[in-house]
Amino acid sequence: MDNPVETIGIASARIARLAAIRAMLCAVAPALTAIALGALLTQIGDVTWTRLGYRLAPERGTVLSLALIGAGIVVLAAGLVMAFRAYRRANDFVAAAAELDERLDCDQEIVTFATLADPSAPESIRARRTPLFPILWRRAIALFGGLDVRREFRLEVGEPLKRSSIFAGMVALAMVLATLGLVRAPTPENTEAAKLRAIAEEIARTSASSDDSALADKIRQAADAIENSKLPPEEKKKRIEEAIREADKAAQKRNNSQSGKNQGTGKSNAQNGNGNGKSQGQGNSAGAGSGEGKSGTGAGQNPGGGSSGSGKSATGKNSGKNEGGKGSAKNDKNDQNKGDQSNLELHDELAKAEAQVETANAKNSGPANQPGEDKNQGGASQPADKTNQKGGSQPDPNRPGNIPKPGANGDRNIPAAGGKPKNNKDMGSNLGDTHLGEMPTSTNAQRFLKPGEKGATVDIRDARYVMFRLPGAPSSGNGGKTVLDTDRPTATTGYVNAPLAPTSDDAPPDERQLVPPRYRDMIH
Amino acid sequence: MGAAPQQASPDQRVAEFRKIFSRAESEVARVIVGHREVVRKMLTALFCGGHILIEGVPGLGKTLMVKAAAETLGLSFKRIQFTPDLMPSDIIGTQVLTEADGHRDFQFKPGPIFAHMVLGDEINRATPKTQSAVLEAMEEHQVTVFGTTYVLDPPYIVLATENPIELEGTYPLPEAQMDRFIFKVVMGSPKPDELREILNRTTGTAQARIQPLFEASRAPRAIEDLKALVREVMVAEPLERYIISVIGGCTPGGPGAIPEVSQYLRFGPSPRGAQALILCAKVNALLAGRVSVSYDDIEDAIVPCLRHRLLLNFQAEAESVSSESILEQVVKRLRKPRT
Repeated sequence: MDNPVETIGIASARIARLAAIRAMLCAVAPALTAIALGALLTQIGDVTWTRLGYRLAPERGTVLSLALIGAGIVVLAAGLVMAFRAYRRANDFVAAAAELDERLDCDQEIVTFATLADPSAPESIRARRTPLFPILWRRAIALFGGLDVRREFRLEVGEPLKRSSIFAGMVALAMVLATLGLVRAPTPENTEAAKLRAIAEEIARTSASSDDSALADKIRQAADAIENSKLPPEEKKKRIEEAIREADKAAQKRNNSQSGKNQGTGKSNAQNGNGNGKSQGQGNSAGAGSGEGKSGTGAGQNPGGGSSGSGKSATGKNSGKNEGGKGSAKNDKNDQNKGDQSNLELHDELAKAEAQVETANAKNSGPANQPGEDKNQGGASQPADKTNQKGGSQPDPNRPGNIPKPGANGDRNIPAAGGKPKNNKDMGSNLGDTHLGEMPTSTNAQRFLKPGEKGATVDIRDARYVMFRLPGAPSSGNGGKTVLDTDRPTATTGYVNAPLAPTSDDAPPDERQLVPPRYRDMIH
Repeated sequence: MGAAPQQASPDQRVAEFRKIFSRAESEVARVIVGHREVVRKMLTALFCGGHILIEGVPGLGKTLMVKAAAETLGLSFKRIQFTPDLMPSDIIGTQVLTEADGHRDFQFKPGPIFAHMVLGDEINRATPKTQSAVLEAMEEHQVTVFGTTYVLDPPYIVLATENPIELEGTYPLPEAQMDRFIFKVVMGSPKPDELREILNRTTGTAQARIQPLFEASRAPRAIEDLKALVREVMVAEPLERYIISVIGGCTPGGPGAIPEVSQYLRFGPSPRGAQALILCAKVNALLAGRVSVSYDDIEDAIVPCLRHRLLLNFQAEAESVSSESILEQVVKRLRKPRT
């Protein structure tokens, strides 16, 4: 290029563009990080929930998510402003010449040339050109001879990205801190709602029928209702019951279709003559069949089975025996069990949720518990109010794997003395729920034995300390008679000199304070 | 041989300058062994139109050097030995009553200051009154005697020497006069091989002969043309700002003054210091074959141009802090502006 002024102009424009890009890059990473974190906060919350057991409340999560996305957009906007300013600042003819000068090692010849040849410079500057200026012009042409501005000024993203990543890390750190500040241990309602949502997701994922989709929607609505503190308990219960009804409906349909399948299978087996006449078919989990059928001795008839259920699906008791062909029954059993299992699980969770709502309702509306009372006056659900006739709330004990384990979930819904729920630990089991019958009553811890009672023998050797009370010395009067010391303090309240009731001493033996050896001989 | 005429192309003029400068250095080097930097600075000062203060012990060849330079360039040369009893009229000249054709008249008899190159030997031995007599000549290139002003023929350069020893009975140059010297250069003792060469040259029969670069009649004009060329060298605005920042950095309480400056200096350089820097940098640029000044040209000029313009305080004297060390610190810490 013969015109060095043009070359410097091109370089100036390119430097300005690169400066703008670099400035923008500084803002891009933190902005994208913030936006991505904001968008993925729900998923991050799920992971926190799954892995750590802590939950980001949806409303807080939404606020944080929006804040992060907003911050990302603000940072992007700031980046744009910075880029614009960087462009304007870098779009300087003399500065570009200085940059070129430095890169080409020109001993400030290019800067001097640019100073005097700057098209935007005032005339007074141009007037400073001397007769030697043509030499400078030719020198500039010579120096720019092999110059490729594009190659000379490359876009190097490494440094701005490195700087940017620091900011991005700070954003992520801020997000982590904000999340840590906002996550809470989930309430029982949250837990139930999360479980229900998981089930709804599972149903929606595995099934394609519209009924299942409707069921999933109902479950989700129920889950939302459970968590929604603004909804009245009646409404919550209503939503849950709707979900239960939907689940029953879906189960009924599934059973109907399943029974037809069983019949066909039975026939087929009968023809093959493989039936041994006795098959412990596992029925359906909805408790649809209570009937007992005999298929004969391998005749292949299958009059029993789930299809002839009494319709008492809510009993939760299914003692039905499906005596059908052995081989075919085995094939169907797995699928059926799988569906039954999830159905059972769903019913179980819905029932728990309902109980939870009732508990919360009772807690809110019930009288305050008096500490120290033996009776539980708290808002725990009363099992007597409802006989759980609904299928699914109580798993079928006849089915393998559904044996309720005492203690696994039994203590979850048992209100502790004093009105506070006693360590509601959900161990994740779906194998039964014993909260409907076991209501232990607390007893007053007795500190002292009553008069006449004898506690366990106290081994004084293990005593922590021994108190001796020595009677006061009798004082003699004038006549040498022994008189009682009336000044001696006496007890004003009656007391029983009874030993302390045994208390559990959890301290290891090493921690116990033993009687010093020099006193041990005194103790027999 | 002579300077390229004004009609010559800029390239020719620049080439001519470099050639003359280089040849002048070589011719002086025939007589003076070593001290190339001092010779270079002396010639630079000549082309800048300034004056130079040379500090060195006696016997280093200061007088010879100046004489050789004058002979090389074809300029007139006068030497003034400054002594305590030297009067201003002894330097400038005086009116002398003369009688011609029966008429008595005062006639001005010019002093030794009327020459192109004036060597003021041991200038600090003269009284301030005498020293100040040189001021007008140095700055204005003219002298006034009895109300009559006499212009000194260009080119005009005063080369003053100072003896750093035997300070008793001397009169240190006032700051105002120091400021009028564009450079202060220090002549050190010759190195052993240089000393051997000096002995060979001066104690044998061989006589070094200097070949003048200009005829005496043309020399002043040629030198003036070259001085004009120096002033045509261009300086970019960022470099001017750098020079200003150097001056500010050396001024106590000035913008960008480093702590050492505030601690050890009473006064910093005047604007003449900045002028000296630019002019010296321009000559350096021409010698490098450029027509524009670079940062290196400026940095090369900082110490000789500014060292005598920094007025050290008592603390600096007590701690033996030199102005050169302060200048080095300033240069090291100053950031060169890019735009």
